[in-house]
Amino acid sequence: MSISPETTNYMIAGYAVFFLVFTFYIVSLVVRWSNLRRDMHILEDLEIDNKS
Amino acid sequence: MNKKPVILLVLDILSLVFLAVAAYLALSYAPMEATMGNVQKVFYFHVANAWVGMLGFISAGVAGIAYLRSGNPKWDIVEVAAVEISLVFFLIAILLGSIWARPAWNTWWTWEPRLTTAAITEMIYLAYFMLRNGIEDPNRRARFSAVYTLVGAVSVPITFMAIRLFRTIHPVVIGSQSAQAQGGFNMSPDMEVAFFFSLFTFTIIFADLFWHRIRLGNLANKTEELKLKVME
Amino acid sequence: MAEKQAPVAKSSNFIKAVFAIAWKDLAAELRSRELLSAMLVFGMLVILIFNFALKLDAKTRITATSGILWVTFTFAGTLGLNRSMAVEKDRGCLDGLLLAPVDRSSIYFGKLLSNLAFMFIVEAIVLPLYSLLYNVNLFNPGLLLVILLGSVGYIAIGTLLSAMAVQTRTRDVMLPILLFPVIIPVVVAAVEASGGYLQGMDISELRYWINLLLVYDVIFIAIAFMVFDYVVEE
Repeated sequence: MSISPETTNYMIAGYAVFFLVFTFYIVSLVVRWSNLRRDMHILEDLEIDNKS
Repeated sequence: MNKKPVILLVLDILSLVFLAVAAYLALSYAPMEATMGNVQKVFYFHVANAWVGMLGFISAGVAGIAYLRSGNPKWDIVEVAAVEISLVFFLIAILLGSIWARPAWNTWWTWEPRLTTAAITEMIYLAYFMLRNGIEDPNRRARFSAVYTLVGAVSVPITFMAIRLFRTIHPVVIGSQSAQAQGGFNMSPDMEVAFFFSLFTFTIIFADLFWHRIRLGNLANKTEELKLKVME
Repeated sequence: MAEKQAPVAKSSNFIKAVFAIAWKDLAAELRSRELLSAMLVFGMLVILIFNFALKLDAKTRITATSGILWVTFTFAGTLGLNRSMAVEKDRGCLDGLLLAPVDRSSIYFGKLLSNLAFMFIVEAIVLPLYSLLYNVNLFNPGLLLVILLGSVGYIAIGTLLSAMAVQTRTRDVMLPILLFPVIIPVVVAAVEASGGYLQGMDISELRYWINLLLVYDVIFIAIAFMVFDYVVEE
């Protein structure tokens, strides 16, 4: 049986890329969510001001 | 709707725990494949990410048809969510495929049918978002994107057939003649455990992210409505 | 009103409307000739650029001809599709057509026919020109069949997408971005089949490509027919 090639670096790179992109996407979801919540609060305040 | 449902929280936790277990199974539990070395372990997440991309692709097609039939804006939100998730996960699958191909075939990119079709699907998604950006009227935006989703959903399988007819060098992993194809390998029972567990995990992750993205879309719509109301 | 008419009268009305719309485009084009001349000059320029870009010697020509032809048709076709819909939109013709008491899908088929006619005229000029310039015989019935089927598929989906593209903010660049990723099967099949016919391959080897083109044509004409309403709805 031949000796397996040493490709551990590629494996690490692969999983690093996965976790990087995955985390990035989740952060983008969280950021978008909190921005929208903030906008929502500002708009709700404005609406109350308009009525009063 | 602002309160987070308990099931969603459970899904969040399950996704994280399962992801950790799947990573452990892939990296540590599954044995090293002899002819390719450790890089073969990328395969578990590569296929699972492509699987999520497929789920997103199919969901987008279904949502597009549902929108055209019903005209309900809810389906537009679902469609965008599915397209976005599919875009992200196909991107990961393509990147992992490249990293795997480099040591296995000595090239970053192979014009392999599945890989090429995934790349073309990404192009369709980018066009989809450019189309959405170019239209202001929300009704028309929803209609046009549903039409384009439908066109894409039908053309992608035909593209795949055309490219497969054109050329195929990708290994067939599951099946009898697997070891024959260059770079192919037979899965041992340990490998199968890691493989099917990551497929299962990523299905849960898909459901979780899909739900979150739909909630985000709903919130964006509500904010938009409120903005119009305040402006008046 | 249309619902009350007998089915026969309805279908003949439909066909009449389709031809009226196609004829309107062709007649307008015969007068101005701006669309065809733009497509033709553009097509010739593409061939000219390929000559220098690929150094088309006798050997490369055999393998590259089908690819060059389809790139030329695809790019010239995009130009034509975009222009033909933009004209409708700018002159307000589209709104007029929508108000007319005809089935919406007859607008689609009318535009399909006129776009197809423009495409065929461009091809009918580019093909002999290419034969002449590069001394390749392109008058092969198989090749003509492939060009027919490929153009139908290309225009079928192109007409639908150009109707969408002209209604967006970035309309000048939108059509190729929308169109190219979804017509890859047509391009792959057409290039392969044309190349095969030019190299004198047996029909049986190329049957799959012809079938693929046929399937694509039928499916996308059907889809465009079903969804065109949503694209022109106001």
